[in-house]
Amino acid sequence: MEEFEFLEHTADLGLRVKGKTSEDLFNNYAAVLFSLLTDYQPKEIINKKITLQAQSLSELLIDWLNELLSMFFADDFLPKEYSIKITDDKGGKILEAEIKGEEFDFESNPLKREIKAATYHEVKVEENDSEYVGEVIFDV
Amino acid sequence: MREDLLEKISDYKYRIPKSYKPGMLVDGIIYSNEKLIAGIKRDKALDQVANVAFLPGIVGNSLAMPDIHWGYGFCIGGVAATDPEAGGVISPGGVGYDINCGVRLLKTNLTLGDLKNKLPKIVNTLYQDTPSGVGSTGDIKVSYQEEKKILLNGAKWAVERGFGVREDLEHCEENGTIGGANPDAVSERAYKRGKKQAGTLGSGNHFLEVQVVDNIFDKVVSERLGLRVGQIVIMIHSGSRGLGFQVCDDSIKVMLKCLDKYGINVPDRQLACAPINSPEAKEYIGAMCSAANYAWANRQVLMHLTRLSFEKIFSKSWQSLGMDLIYDLAHNIAKFEECIVNGKKKTLCVHRKGATRALGPGNLQLPSKYKDIGQPVIIPGSMGTGSYLLVGTKKAEAETFGSTCHGAGRVKSRHEAIRTVNLDQLIKELKGKGIEVRATGKSTIVEEAPSAYKDIDQVVDVVESAGLSRKVCRMKPLCVVKG
Repeated sequence: MEEFEFLEHTADLGLRVKGKTSEDLFNNYAAVLFSLLTDYQPKEIINKKITLQAQSLSELLIDWLNELLSMFFADDFLPKEYSIKITDDKGGKILEAEIKGEEFDFESNPLKREIKAATYHEVKVEENDSEYVGEVIFDV
Repeated sequence: MREDLLEKISDYKYRIPKSYKPGMLVDGIIYSNEKLIAGIKRDKALDQVANVAFLPGIVGNSLAMPDIHWGYGFCIGGVAATDPEAGGVISPGGVGYDINCGVRLLKTNLTLGDLKNKLPKIVNTLYQDTPSGVGSTGDIKVSYQEEKKILLNGAKWAVERGFGVREDLEHCEENGTIGGANPDAVSERAYKRGKKQAGTLGSGNHFLEVQVVDNIFDKVVSERLGLRVGQIVIMIHSGSRGLGFQVCDDSIKVMLKCLDKYGINVPDRQLACAPINSPEAKEYIGAMCSAANYAWANRQVLMHLTRLSFEKIFSKSWQSLGMDLIYDLAHNIAKFEECIVNGKKKTLCVHRKGATRALGPGNLQLPSKYKDIGQPVIIPGSMGTGSYLLVGTKKAEAETFGSTCHGAGRVKSRHEAIRTVNLDQLIKELKGKGIEVRATGKSTIVEEAPSAYKDIDQVVDVVESAGLSRKVCRMKPLCVVKG
């Protein structure tokens, strides 16, 4: 289980997560997000590939988390393993990811909580000497 | 924010002058009192009121109601009107993810005595019959074509399918069906999320409550609404579920690109927006109205399920139990409404993010039944305290684009509530007060503990003292069903 901290926010859910690289940070955020939604451990049966493009690393992080939430709630896909590559692109950022996971049965696996979306409000990704630190507020 | 820059205008009104942040186009106005404002200063809600004042084409002031708290983009309790003729914008962040989250109140002719020894049975039946919880799926499975009809017709779709009667529609804001919906602007993902969840309550702060009227403030209006002390009413709080979340998410991504395209400067990316007359805004409005209709259909179906539960418990038809809808309101929406600006009528885009429409007596948009008393305004409190029924006023129409508060408003974070509230003790306390609670997620009860919310009595006192609404009656919860 990846380490994370809750950030105080009056109405919503703020999460501070760390990673050794930007890819590691994105991986850890995804793992923390789904650990808050369900305890179900998916098998690595289905493979999905996605590409996302955003103006900055912090916006890319929000797009990544919302893409995973949409895949989960719309396509019933619970992710497990992520292979992520983030590159620069014309002043912006591109994410290419291969995701392995399993189809999720909502009827027989009640979720632990509601998470509507990751928001762009006060999103931060900071890089210091040894790690990347992100802060994201989720609408719950 | 810097406290010395917050000006007290009156006992119920505070101002953030536009000089507070370069880029603010108008002042921020917060309806509050000494006690509530002290709590508001603790988080970033006031800065959010200032940020909303950056929106191009904003008219009057960036407003906040006394239930204001820190949200994302807009504060919760925020109201902003923009003028389409003056380059005004629409911002999905001013509506939120749960598009047309709202509340409805229906009455019964039952009294507290009729429920004696029946509360556990009532709460269990409602809990079993109401699909609730995160990602919960309903019994109503609809095809893609049918879902399209929901997005176009809202509560009217539900009534046509037998979930209620025509009179229900007259007692909904926009008659339960907002014009301007464009189901083709709704993404396939949003359809997929919506298909599974029609007729479900959801989670978080959403609930279904059986309440008893415990205090009457306006005898004349209460009698007109058929309400008296000791009478049982039912409140339903729900929204557009995953369909709305997806519509908002899809459109913010588009609107972020609009900031550069249209040269818009906002201090928070979550306030991404586009000029109302732009193709991007038109697409969002079509999708947002579709999600709003989905929410109205959803609450109509939930009310129907509640009526059936009561029929089962009391072995009587819902009609003979007097289960008529009093009113249904949106509190997360942007709508084009005729407003009075400097004495002149103007059609503005009114964003209400955790705020309620509150039309005064005589307004032509009101159903004939309510024309002389003003629009019923339903204010849900936290689960251990009370809720209120108010009516709108002419002053609200003149000062706040016909808007008022929407609830108690949070003071404690969910995390802090989890840390400080003991579940068993809370359930015991509520039971001691005669309140039965059933919830799918145990953390939901703790996160929604009464101590996590502001004092509803104070919030309602502010809107009444400021003249934005008038108190009609207060209700106390008896049974609470939560997701």
